[in-house]
Amino acid sequence: MGHIFLACLVLLSCLGSLFSTQMAWAERMVTDLSRHTIEIRSQFSGTELLIFGAIEREILQGDGGHGVSIEGMDYDIIVVVQSARHDMIVRRKELVGPIWVNKDFYTLKNVQGYYAVASTRPLRKILSEDNLRILQAGIEYLDIDFIEPISELEDAAYRAGFIRNMKAKKLYNQREGTISILDDILFRAILEFPANMPVGQYQVDVHLIRDGEILLSEESPLEVGKAGIERIIFMFAHEYPSYYGIMAVIVALFAGWLGGFISRKMSE
Amino acid sequence: MQIYLPIAEISINIFLLLAMGGGVGFLSGMFGVGGGFLMTPLLIFVGIPPAVAVATEANQITAASVSGALAHGRRGGIDYKMGGVLIIGGAIGSYFGSMIFTVLKATGQVDLMISLAYVLFLGAIGGMMFVESVRSILRNRRGEQPTPGRRHRTWIDALPFKMRFRTSKMYVSAILPLAIGGLVGVLAAIMGVGGGFIMVPAMIYLLHMPIKVVIGTSLFQITFVTANVTFLHSVNTQTVDVVLALILLIGAVIGAQLGARVGLKLKGEQLRILLAMLVLVVCAKMAVDLVVKPDELYSVTSVEVVH
Repeated sequence: MGHIFLACLVLLSCLGSLFSTQMAWAERMVTDLSRHTIEIRSQFSGTELLIFGAIEREILQGDGGHGVSIEGMDYDIIVVVQSARHDMIVRRKELVGPIWVNKDFYTLKNVQGYYAVASTRPLRKILSEDNLRILQAGIEYLDIDFIEPISELEDAAYRAGFIRNMKAKKLYNQREGTISILDDILFRAILEFPANMPVGQYQVDVHLIRDGEILLSEESPLEVGKAGIERIIFMFAHEYPSYYGIMAVIVALFAGWLGGFISRKMSE
Repeated sequence: MQIYLPIAEISINIFLLLAMGGGVGFLSGMFGVGGGFLMTPLLIFVGIPPAVAVATEANQITAASVSGALAHGRRGGIDYKMGGVLIIGGAIGSYFGSMIFTVLKATGQVDLMISLAYVLFLGAIGGMMFVESVRSILRNRRGEQPTPGRRHRTWIDALPFKMRFRTSKMYVSAILPLAIGGLVGVLAAIMGVGGGFIMVPAMIYLLHMPIKVVIGTSLFQITFVTANVTFLHSVNTQTVDVVLALILLIGAVIGAQLGARVGLKLKGEQLRILLAMLVLVVCAKMAVDLVVKPDELYSVTSVEVVH
């Protein structure tokens, strides 16, 4: 049985290479997320997201153009996850008299509150810097621009300070070489989200690359929102702040009265 | 067990919060103080954003002081007229305090102001308490009696707008209680404290109110002023975390019960000297954080969406 199977396989691969010299081959990629919504509830303490997919690599092209021979294990995958963009302020502490005080600041135009990138190999080995910049793949290639005029030296210092902050809060993550492609077909990437992740619409991009060329890009949406009681409290506080304030006072007065009542009963 | 706080937007161990509430509640029960001046720095130390710590603590103090105020009210331990004047002062003070807070939050200076206010007030109060209790301990050792001489006329008696306070059997200018209430209101708004540690000594030494109405009247004022602060911070900066306040309160109610029992076994001077040292330790920690070069000089804040 085994020999027959092997013989068939050899025959098939011979046929394959025969066709490949005559026909064009292109890849197809299917990707999905372990879930498309992340809900922040009362026990939320950060989460993981599994991004997986399959590469289908021998598809006959209808137009019958020139074929390219496809060697094994030469695909690369880059996964980029980013939240909606908004403005942020970066402040720097300076010594004023004896104490450290927030002094100068610059405003960042439209930056991601959350950003993560994962890849099969170090990014620079997969793509050129220009292409990485186009894909916004890699923290150092992100468009991080200040609204205010800023000197080159300060730009570098503030940008580095911003990235250090975001990395420390686990809001910016770079995980090169963490994706493995199984049998040249299946791949999976696991990305982590901290509890303080911003809410809103996220975008997940999966790029298929070979020989420094972006073959395919798949985009999936990801929705991050507060849910349950957390959502009700947050929305209430931000949409109806004065009613929220009155509610907070009433809750406190009642809870305080109740607490006093219980402890009086207990000590009697 | 982690719990996600909806306004602070961080995930934190619920047992840590309960223990903090219990610990501070224990100390406040033992010393007979509100505990806000300990809780707010503690919340900041464990990673709650300072603005949320201050606003939430005001909310918790409302809860912590209402049952005490009710109890004193039942025993006739509140001078409502004096309390009313203090509340008017407190309302004005907390309004300005909240405005300062909102402006400083927008300019990124609110954390600094909170730390500075703490260092200043805790240092002054802790230092004064420490010196005073050491003196009285020394006096007791020498067997001296404090001389309770007749009250002298001071500049306070010369102030205009005098009012009669029947419960306290006093006839003093309304300006002084208004000013005291105002200062306490500002502190409540920017430090997340009830302000009892200022108001009680001021009532005793400046206003010369009868001791039996001092605590009750102070709690009465604190309940209203911190309620006002809670409301103002909710409206201006959306920094009041009800979930956090409730968790802290549960711990505090239990802790205060135990603390009060332990406190009965200790002498007044010993208690005061312990409290003074505690206040000075918190003060020193905050002062050190201000002068030591921080590990990270840069900080990032989202631009607030203006409604």
